[in-house]
Amino acid sequence: MSRRKSRKKMLVDLDEDIREHIEIETRENIENGMTPEEAHYAALRKFGNPLLVKEDVCAVWIQQWLEHLGQDLRYGLRTLAQTPALTAVVVLSLALGIGANTAIFSLIDAVMLRMLPVKDPQQLVLLSSNQTKAVHGAPEYSGYGISLSYPGFLRLRQNNDVFASVFGFVPLGFDTESVAVKIDGQPSLAGGEMVSGNYFDGLGVAPLLGRLLTADDEAHAAQVTVLSFPYWTRRFGRSPSVVGKTIFLGGHPYTIVGVTPPEFFGVEPGRSPDFWVPLADEPGLTPWGVTAGSGQSMFTQKKWWWLMIMGRLKPGVSQTKARAALDVWLRQTLTGDLGMQEVDARTFVMKADPASRGLDSLRSYFSQPLTILMSVVGLVLLIACGNVAALLLARAQSRRREMAVRLALGASRSRLVRQLLTESLMLALAGGAVGLAFAAWGAPLLVALMSGGAPLPIDVHLNLTVIGFAAGVAMLTGILFGLAPALGSTRANLSPALKENAAGFQRRPGSRWSFGKSLVIAQVAFSLLLITGAGLFVRTLMNLEHQNLGFDPYGVLLFGVNPRQSGYEGPRLIDVYGGLLDRVRAVPGVQGATLSAFTLLSGWVNSGQIAVENPPVKQDEGASILWNVVGPDFLKTMRIQLLLGRDISVNDTASSPHVAVVNEVLARKYFGSLDPIGRRFTFGQKFNPNDAYQIVGVVRSARYDGMRGDLPMTAYVPFTQAGEPGAMHFEVRTAGDPTSIIPSLRRAVQEVDSNLALSDVKSQNQQIDEALAQQRMFALLSCFFGALALALAAIGLYGTMSYGVGRKTNEIGIRMALGAKANQVLKAVLGEAFALVLIGAALGLPLAFIAARFVASNLYGLKPSDPLTFVAATVTLLAVAALAAYLPARRASKVDPMVALRNE
Amino acid sequence: MTTEEKDRIELLQGTLDLLILRTLLFGPAHGHAIARAIERNSEDVLQVEQGSLYPALHRLIKRGWISFAEGPSENNRRAKYYRLTARGRRQLQVETTKWDKLAGAIARILRPAEEKVE
Repeated sequence: MSRRKSRKKMLVDLDEDIREHIEIETRENIENGMTPEEAHYAALRKFGNPLLVKEDVCAVWIQQWLEHLGQDLRYGLRTLAQTPALTAVVVLSLALGIGANTAIFSLIDAVMLRMLPVKDPQQLVLLSSNQTKAVHGAPEYSGYGISLSYPGFLRLRQNNDVFASVFGFVPLGFDTESVAVKIDGQPSLAGGEMVSGNYFDGLGVAPLLGRLLTADDEAHAAQVTVLSFPYWTRRFGRSPSVVGKTIFLGGHPYTIVGVTPPEFFGVEPGRSPDFWVPLADEPGLTPWGVTAGSGQSMFTQKKWWWLMIMGRLKPGVSQTKARAALDVWLRQTLTGDLGMQEVDARTFVMKADPASRGLDSLRSYFSQPLTILMSVVGLVLLIACGNVAALLLARAQSRRREMAVRLALGASRSRLVRQLLTESLMLALAGGAVGLAFAAWGAPLLVALMSGGAPLPIDVHLNLTVIGFAAGVAMLTGILFGLAPALGSTRANLSPALKENAAGFQRRPGSRWSFGKSLVIAQVAFSLLLITGAGLFVRTLMNLEHQNLGFDPYGVLLFGVNPRQSGYEGPRLIDVYGGLLDRVRAVPGVQGATLSAFTLLSGWVNSGQIAVENPPVKQDEGASILWNVVGPDFLKTMRIQLLLGRDISVNDTASSPHVAVVNEVLARKYFGSLDPIGRRFTFGQKFNPNDAYQIVGVVRSARYDGMRGDLPMTAYVPFTQAGEPGAMHFEVRTAGDPTSIIPSLRRAVQEVDSNLALSDVKSQNQQIDEALAQQRMFALLSCFFGALALALAAIGLYGTMSYGVGRKTNEIGIRMALGAKANQVLKAVLGEAFALVLIGAALGLPLAFIAARFVASNLYGLKPSDPLTFVAATVTLLAVAALAAYLPARRASKVDPMVALRNE
Repeated sequence: MTTEEKDRIELLQGTLDLLILRTLLFGPAHGHAIARAIERNSEDVLQVEQGSLYPALHRLIKRGWISFAEGPSENNRRAKYYRLTARGRRQLQVETTKWDKLAGAIARILRPAEEKVE
């Protein structure tokens, strides 16, 4: 019976043993003449308290365990302190590996895993339908599932039996900062949301200060607002006297009634509103910042779906049940009162998805990059582990004699394995602790890298989940890289190890070596995979940056204004834009200026179908095109080359004939070789001569929606002729650094109207940088981690080769004494190293080839199997490997035969 | 009973281990038998609270000085029979020598005159 088993049995059987003991005593007592009852009690008395006995027995074993642990820790610390350089290298490589993993994980935690900081978030569901396209006018915005129209929401809230509460919310604009705010006479911009009166109550959020919004506020469209903690901090210095203060939102007075607690950021991670107002027809503010036109309120329209809705499930109601009940109810209601057609209802699906982690726009945007990065840093950690295992293996090898002696003296193997594991766990935990520090420093840096422009409001402070992750990874790596050396060096084969002489002459060649070598091969393969990836991402970034955009981004400054929020409407709106444009053009240093609904590469576009008059296009050929609403000289200012006809000009006014400029790809698609000038088209699926735009110019195709993909078909129409303009953006071309004119531009705008605030002020190049932020992050991080991986693999190769040379000093000495030349020895060692590297590369290349296909969608301008990248990566690997192998090879060739032989 | 109890001596820390090893020198025994033997051989002067035997037995197993096997008890049930290991036998020698030295030393301190007489 093994000792472990016997110990376990001892503890399990203890009760039985005690009972048996007492019974024997009782029997003896009876034989000595006691009554059975007396005999039993006497036996119990004599035995003492069985509970105490059991405790004492347990203490015996626990004490032993603690003693051993204490011994192991002390011994481990001593051994590690004996080899400070080795310890430092191991801790540092692990710290880099674990730190990288923890940093990426803290982002994954913040973006993908963390629950909303509200009451019982797992009860929340988000309603979203697939019907946004079929329903007229619903804003399409990636990441958002529109839930219902406002009348639909009201009916749902009054009449359902699956939700404890149903609440709605909608942003006040598409941009993060879209509402004109005036605090103490100072204009600025902020982002807000309209929320139903039961929003805060339904989420279970309590006010930090004052009160939150109520059903009464909603019913009376009260002009009240609640501030978020960050906004309160930023704008009001956390003054408690803000409650009761009046600020102007969209030009109308609202009273601050309260502040939300610091952890609350709404329901969408990464987009944190500055303030909330009641969901009602409030003055100056509209859902999404849009107006219904024709004077109709968005709140009465049954077919206009714009509201997002969350529900809190009643206790005991499952999501499936809720979805089914909701579906039935909605179908009945929709086809009846809410005016949806039968055909819509047939294809209609309402989803009720778990919303414990909030809206998932951030998640869907970052989950793929984060997954790729997590795999990358996971590989880096594996490579680091390989090094640590190799180093420990080498050390374990030199301790074989010690181990063999201890085994011979009667130490159990499990005890020795445990001691070695304690050592590797100590290393791993030290690495984990340093890694955690790296992560705490690196995670905010990563957020900045990922966000491009304004940092995303993501909280990546260390929390218990992240610390637990780091500790878990550390433990796992400790066991992973510690187990093999521990088992290897305690293998119960005593005599050869004892017979080894002090110089460590190896009598059992091969058996341990193969493990060390396979580690190097794996490291080479993985690092080749990583540097190939890095190469692909760098080439992608270069391709993106150096592509022909179709316009000239240098020297262009962008900013947005929204005079509508300062009360401008109708013709006055067109006039104020005209006035602003004139004033901006007069600013010193400005070479030209224009305006457009969306700036190029901002991420915002108009998209839709067009129908041309002649030649007619079949319905299914009508692809989606992009269009932009622009001011005079847009094409000239942006330096988009005019191929035919003319630019949009000042003479294209609201009353002049409707005109448009289209780009080359659009012209080719719709008109082929025909002359496009003079032809007419309509936005929509059917040509309508009363609402047609006549093509007056054709320009070269340019980037608009994004940096990737085919150049989009684009039409430009005058801002005076495309309905009432909303917020517009200005493009200002300057001679020098565009950001230097920002102060004078601000003054110029203020001169026109002091209520106007500038938003999104940045240069066109900054905007492009932001659009490429994710790609840049990929290139930078993959290079960094690729280099790290390569360095770790090189250290691994170097270590393994020098260790081998050290052990074979005798053999080399003999060979050289027998006439081998230094050159031959050099070649032999290099050859051995290159054999390992080539096997690694042969395994790594197909791996890289397969892995590259998974990131194909992140590449641009090259195939995943880009030969140049693969060749360059392999050459880099070979060069670094040659360097790493050369040093030990040279040492081998310098072996003095006499010294080596005397060593024997 | 009262006088009898007064005459009984509580065991010194650690001596129980020695007594158990000594008892097992005569052959394997189960827990109750060990307790009985200690009492009997000391003519009931040494009073073992029988329960305290068990932590001691576990301690000795842990140190590898005794081992155990299962066998039938007087009640015809399974019981653990403890026996000395080779290491335990060695340890008994060491401990006995130590004890003799200690006892001799204490005796010399307590009764220096008697030693002179001898």
